[in-house]
Amino acid sequence: MTQVIEARGLKKSYRSTHALEDVSFTVEPGRIVGLIGPNGAGKTTVLKAILGLTRFEGELRVFGLDPRSQRDDLMHDVCFIADVAVLPRWLRVSQALDFVAGVHPRFDRSRAEDFLRKTDIRMKSRVRELSKGMVTQLHLALILAIDARLLVLDEPTLGLDLLYRRQFYDTLLNDYFDKQRTILVTTHQVEEIENLFTDVLFINRGRVVLESTVEGLAGRFVQLIVKPEQAARARELRPFHEREVFGRVAMIFEGRAASELASLGEIRTPSIADLFVAKMQGAPA
Amino acid sequence: MSTPTAVSPDEGVSVPRAGSVSRLRLSMFMTLVRREFWEHRSLWMTPLAVAGLLLICALPTHGAFQINVDDGVQLLDPQHKAILFALAQWGLSVPHYLVMIIVLNFYLLDCLYAERKDRSILFWKSLPVSDGATVASKLFVGLIVVPVGTFAIALITNLLFTAIWNLRAIFGHSPDLVLWDTVALLKVETLMLLGLIVSILWYAPLVASLLLASAWARRNVLLWVTLVPLVAVIVEKIAFGTRYVSGLIAYRTFGIWESLHVEAAVLGSMTRVGQSEIVSLPRLLEHINIGPAFTNIDLWLGLIVTGLFAFAAARLRRYRDDS
Repeated sequence: MTQVIEARGLKKSYRSTHALEDVSFTVEPGRIVGLIGPNGAGKTTVLKAILGLTRFEGELRVFGLDPRSQRDDLMHDVCFIADVAVLPRWLRVSQALDFVAGVHPRFDRSRAEDFLRKTDIRMKSRVRELSKGMVTQLHLALILAIDARLLVLDEPTLGLDLLYRRQFYDTLLNDYFDKQRTILVTTHQVEEIENLFTDVLFINRGRVVLESTVEGLAGRFVQLIVKPEQAARARELRPFHEREVFGRVAMIFEGRAASELASLGEIRTPSIADLFVAKMQGAPA
Repeated sequence: MSTPTAVSPDEGVSVPRAGSVSRLRLSMFMTLVRREFWEHRSLWMTPLAVAGLLLICALPTHGAFQINVDDGVQLLDPQHKAILFALAQWGLSVPHYLVMIIVLNFYLLDCLYAERKDRSILFWKSLPVSDGATVASKLFVGLIVVPVGTFAIALITNLLFTAIWNLRAIFGHSPDLVLWDTVALLKVETLMLLGLIVSILWYAPLVASLLLASAWARRNVLLWVTLVPLVAVIVEKIAFGTRYVSGLIAYRTFGIWESLHVEAAVLGSMTRVGQSEIVSLPRLLEHINIGPAFTNIDLWLGLIVTGLFAFAAARLRRYRDDS
């Protein structure tokens, strides 16, 4: 069992709409994978399938277990934050710690307490009294103290201000992540955390449109910035996306060597955000 | 919460020893039970409030709670005082159980619905707790913890109330109506405990059906549990002219008590105290026989239905809000 997640031919439809058409991918241990796609692309459905929260067709193994039939065993190794506001409003901070300590054999209570001491959250407070950012901090404190092998985050910082977002990912990277663990994140704020990922998985209209390591992207994709008069020649090399930036044209090529393009203009490595936009707009429906 | 576990250093995965697995399970289950009392505070606050109110009635107050007793009663003989004592034990418990029924109904209807409504269900599901364990903990709270707890609180209230009342009688502040009688106390409490056990077993399918409704309803649980039986009764009456549904509801509500002839036993135990007729609990104890309840096949069949309902509730919880 070397793969954390192995998905082959995942299909899922909600009544008339196909949420997942045919999704296949693998996730290896020790990676931070960004699952990226526009609204309604099927990201959340993929995550729900991995977490055993939805029915689907196809083959899916998480740590070698089938989330449909072996969810109870799986949840010892998997943790997730589904959305910021899911902690029950009546829960006290101390009760949250008591509960997780009581049900999770791999919860390190002192670790969660250490983390909470660095915040303004008091043990006696109820969730309803905390700000949105503090609720996320509390949730993060609980999750970080669980020794899980796969952490799944679905838009974990939605609705938070920049300070909380930055702190969230810094903590995740510095205090939690190591080579034994795997993190799967979906987010809309790609620019902000793109240097966090080791791998990216683009998904659009229920299909995987790109699966790559981040190092692999640099060799595979090249961004070329050319003056308009050079554009026609560059187009002959068939970029799969182009847009105008300050009077020049930015084109993205797949599978072209940088040396091949260097004579035409300025060569760059496209950012994940650039690639995302290119893949979503460029991909014919 | 430190439970001895053998840790294999290479993986960092804790492998519990065989003996500690069941202990872990137990401590997990107890955590789930505690959780219910954190969320549904009325489960423990209401019985305490009822106890408090009853005790206030026993305290030396003037005016509102003054009890008027005619002179005849003051001169009761010890046997009649024992009868009154036993009756007081019973009467003081009734408010506890009435309130419990209301609180439990709301709890059961809410407990698998609230977590979906406030969307906290995904937090609970992010932890290694199965749907079966969750539903079992709620059934256990509704069927065992709260009824037995209510019995205990009622017993303590009765003892405190009697103690206060007797102290007041000693100092002449209240009529010397009841006489402490340990045997009568034990008999009454035993009868009530037996009645409680029969109730738990008999009403178990009702409790589980409320849980099922709570897991099933997408909104307005209370409306569903009142409207569905009502519509079923009316439709059956119009379409077939029969009354099976209403008969079933009535049977699962009162049937066990009718089969024990409780009403006849009560009427046969009336006795004259002072100028009024009241139930003599010592005589009631002779007339009433709980035994046949346990040989009633419907009681045990109901437990199978309870299991099926609980299983269905757990299955529903798995994928309910995933449309």
